[in-house]
Amino acid sequence: MSLLEVEDLHTHFIARGLDNRIRTARALNGVSFALEAGRTLGLVGETGAGKSLTALSIMGLLRAPARIVAGAIRFEGRDLVGASEDELNALRGGSIALIVQSPRTSLDPLTRVGDQLIAVHRAHRQVDAAAARERAIAMLASVGIPDPARRMNAWPHELSGGMAQRILIAMALINEPRLLIADEPTTGLDVTVQAQVLDLLRRLVREKGIGAIVITHDLGVVAHYCDDVAVMYAGSIVESGSVRAVFGDPRHPYTRNLIASTPEKLQVDRGRRPAVPPPNLYALPDGCHYRDRCPDAAELCAQAPPWIAVGDPGHCARCHFASRQGTAA
Amino acid sequence: MSGAAESARIALPASGGALAHVIGVARRSPTFVIGAAIILAFAALAVFHPWLMPHDPVRAFPTQVLHAPDAQFWFGTDSNGMDVFSRVIYGAIYAFAIAAPVVVIGMAIGVPIGLFTGYRGGWLDEIVMRFFDALRVFPSIILALAVVAAAGPSLLNVILVLGILDSPVYARVVRAEVLALRANAYVESAVAAGNPTWRILFVHLMPNALQGAMAQSAVRAAWAVRISATLAFLGVGIQPPTPEWGAMIRQGAEYMVTGQWWVGIFPGAALIALVLGLNMLGDGLQDLLDPRRKAATR
Amino acid sequence: MAILRFLLRRLVLVVPLLLAVVFFTFMLVRIGGQDPVARIAGPTATQGEIETIRSELGLDKPLFAQFAIYLGLVARGDLGRSWISNRPVLSDIVERVPVTLELMLWGVGIGALVGIPVGLFAASRPNRMFDQLSRGISLLGFSIPTYWLGLVMLFVFFYLLDWAPPGMGRVSLMLTPPPRVTGSYLIDGLIAADWEVVHSAAAQLVLPVLCVAIISAAPIIKQTRAIALEVSASDYVRYARAAGLPRRQVQQMVLRNSRTPVITYVGTELTGLVGSTSLIEYVFAWGGLGQYGLNAIIAGDFVAIQGYVLFLAMFSVIVFVVVDLAVMILEPRAALQG
Repeated sequence: MSLLEVEDLHTHFIARGLDNRIRTARALNGVSFALEAGRTLGLVGETGAGKSLTALSIMGLLRAPARIVAGAIRFEGRDLVGASEDELNALRGGSIALIVQSPRTSLDPLTRVGDQLIAVHRAHRQVDAAAARERAIAMLASVGIPDPARRMNAWPHELSGGMAQRILIAMALINEPRLLIADEPTTGLDVTVQAQVLDLLRRLVREKGIGAIVITHDLGVVAHYCDDVAVMYAGSIVESGSVRAVFGDPRHPYTRNLIASTPEKLQVDRGRRPAVPPPNLYALPDGCHYRDRCPDAAELCAQAPPWIAVGDPGHCARCHFASRQGTAA
Repeated sequence: MSGAAESARIALPASGGALAHVIGVARRSPTFVIGAAIILAFAALAVFHPWLMPHDPVRAFPTQVLHAPDAQFWFGTDSNGMDVFSRVIYGAIYAFAIAAPVVVIGMAIGVPIGLFTGYRGGWLDEIVMRFFDALRVFPSIILALAVVAAAGPSLLNVILVLGILDSPVYARVVRAEVLALRANAYVESAVAAGNPTWRILFVHLMPNALQGAMAQSAVRAAWAVRISATLAFLGVGIQPPTPEWGAMIRQGAEYMVTGQWWVGIFPGAALIALVLGLNMLGDGLQDLLDPRRKAATR
Repeated sequence: MAILRFLLRRLVLVVPLLLAVVFFTFMLVRIGGQDPVARIAGPTATQGEIETIRSELGLDKPLFAQFAIYLGLVARGDLGRSWISNRPVLSDIVERVPVTLELMLWGVGIGALVGIPVGLFAASRPNRMFDQLSRGISLLGFSIPTYWLGLVMLFVFFYLLDWAPPGMGRVSLMLTPPPRVTGSYLIDGLIAADWEVVHSAAAQLVLPVLCVAIISAAPIIKQTRAIALEVSASDYVRYARAAGLPRRQVQQMVLRNSRTPVITYVGTELTGLVGSTSLIEYVFAWGGLGQYGLNAIIAGDFVAIQGYVLFLAMFSVIVFVVVDLAVMILEPRAALQG
């Protein structure tokens, strides 16, 4: 049994338009993957591909008009789709923790850092205030914050971005979660700080045997810090496998495109608009969703592509021509 | 979390019949539809007043002074013996005749100021915005009253003054939009392509920035109707026996405590109804233009 | 210490603002097309009489000379004499400040006491029935003309039901006002232990205060709701939910973070309500600063208008400073920037 199994997950935005018709944006179209304890999975893809939405679906944090319409999310064998809000709340911050990309705005500005750590700990563990405080200080020390006892009294606005992200990591790990989801954990941090934070994250995840999902635009982050990678496009995973296999021998044209378009930095361009508009989730083409943008599109692509296993064990791609050796790598 | 918001913003393809569209709007914002219906009803009063008024609104019936509502005078008569019902209907004309030009003037002045200050920035922007801030120290009714009194209380002056005093509202909205749009790629490319400033302002920026101003217009029209009536109530601007609602309430004020309630109550009720209609329209408009305002709720 | 430095900095900024306000008002009333002298002199005055009055009032001098003279007077704490009543403007205004404050503070206080909880509750269950209801009520509150509400109140509670006294001032005409201490008849009556006055003053307060409360509650409900919704959608509240904090703690977080913006809003609301309060005073013959200002503007009494506007500006400034101080004390973020 894997730590986390996501199976054929469909999350849609369902809203009524001004012309009184119900419109459905198919934001996730059958996402499937599995994560083993102690491994780190990188989830990459362009903005709107559904990376963050996958995370929100797993955590049960979707808000209207988004909702899960089909699929299963099994955490340690237990299906979270349809779990009650109370059950989910008990898992969130306890067994499943989240780290977000805006650490400074994610801390309550009116509560001292230490009190926030203590509150998260006591929300999930029956401990007294003194023990929680001790644990919080220990956590701050473990994420490399100097003079942790004093830092407990700091206000969020007194923290730098890197410091805030460390505190968020401490908060996420304080209850020893078994699954950690990091959504763009280093976006907005200085480059040197990025590396420190990622190293820290990697070390803690390894030490505690946590299963982690790292959502990022940065293929470099994936290459250096992840064991496996899943590439998302238009709400589905188009290729997945070990980082070495996928990056070394990409089989899906979208993956090749991603890698080719970012030769040096290995970073998906997020600042500028993409040359091609993102896929219209209200009217995805039949067959392969990447068909409109694919340089190698053929007639066969009008049919839904199969999930083809290639070369390396676990390496799969959702393309009719996946068994053909790639060119750009 | 950005991904979720991102996908929700994807444009809706347009399709569907007119009726379906109306139903869709009604479902999304009933407030908007009720507001629009109220305004249409008052517009009908203003347009069809010759056939709707049982009496001439300024004809005095000297023997029927302060007559309570009955079959002949549905809303009673005022202290001049004029028919309150006919006068309330006629008052709708004044409401529209004031509100519409006030909104037009406010936009005509405010939108270019907002475009220019937002696009240029710098010290000019700073000065204009600080001036607008300083104006906000005063309640709008006091400011309007003072300026109208200084300019001379005529109907034309009321319209001009209210229009000018309201222009900062549009300027602010448009400026904020321009500041947000300026960083956009299409504006940069328009500049790079060598377009003159006026062209960038009015061709590239205005159509987008105007949406925010339009969303405000209904609420500002409500403000204009309210303030102009208040001025008339205070005896500045339109004077009794002109059949304007504020002036009619002024006429009815002293009779409230002696029991002839109909003189003041009916024009006030009409005033509330129209202002409420405009406010509802404005509120609904904001819901429709910014669906996330509603969706942002859990 | 930080507070003292903050107050000093504010004071330095206030002076140019007040100067600008004085200048603006001074010019505004003079460049208008209305000749106040003709109005004061009356329709039967001869040209000679008009010119005499004009030079008596100093209106024959150049505009900037007039302004310089006025500024000199103001700097010495003299706001001049009203052209109509010939009474000193400063003492007239100072006398009326507590009268208006009494009405406003009661009104806005009650409006906030009702409006803030309603707005918060509406935001905690958005788009449910209570929320829709509160939205409708606040829209209605936005649309009711203040003065008409006052008139209807008088009609219903005085004429029909006879529960309230007529809207004729702050204490029954049959009674002698208490010796002046604070300027509020209610408080002064208490000090003088004159229970008849206290009772009458309280009764006279009820309807006008109710009007101000209703008018102020509408925007307070709307803003409080909007603020609480915005806080609920903030990163930190979303993260608190993602961290599995119990719902009660999340709600407390929303409340705590809404506090500062709501206080700031009610403060600005207070200055905005000066207009509505003036109209209520006008309808109830309250005799406060609001009514004084309205009458001065309508009568074209330049000196009184200038004094009134100066006080309005000072009132706004004081309110903003008080609000900022309250925020400084409540919020650690602001304390550093102070």
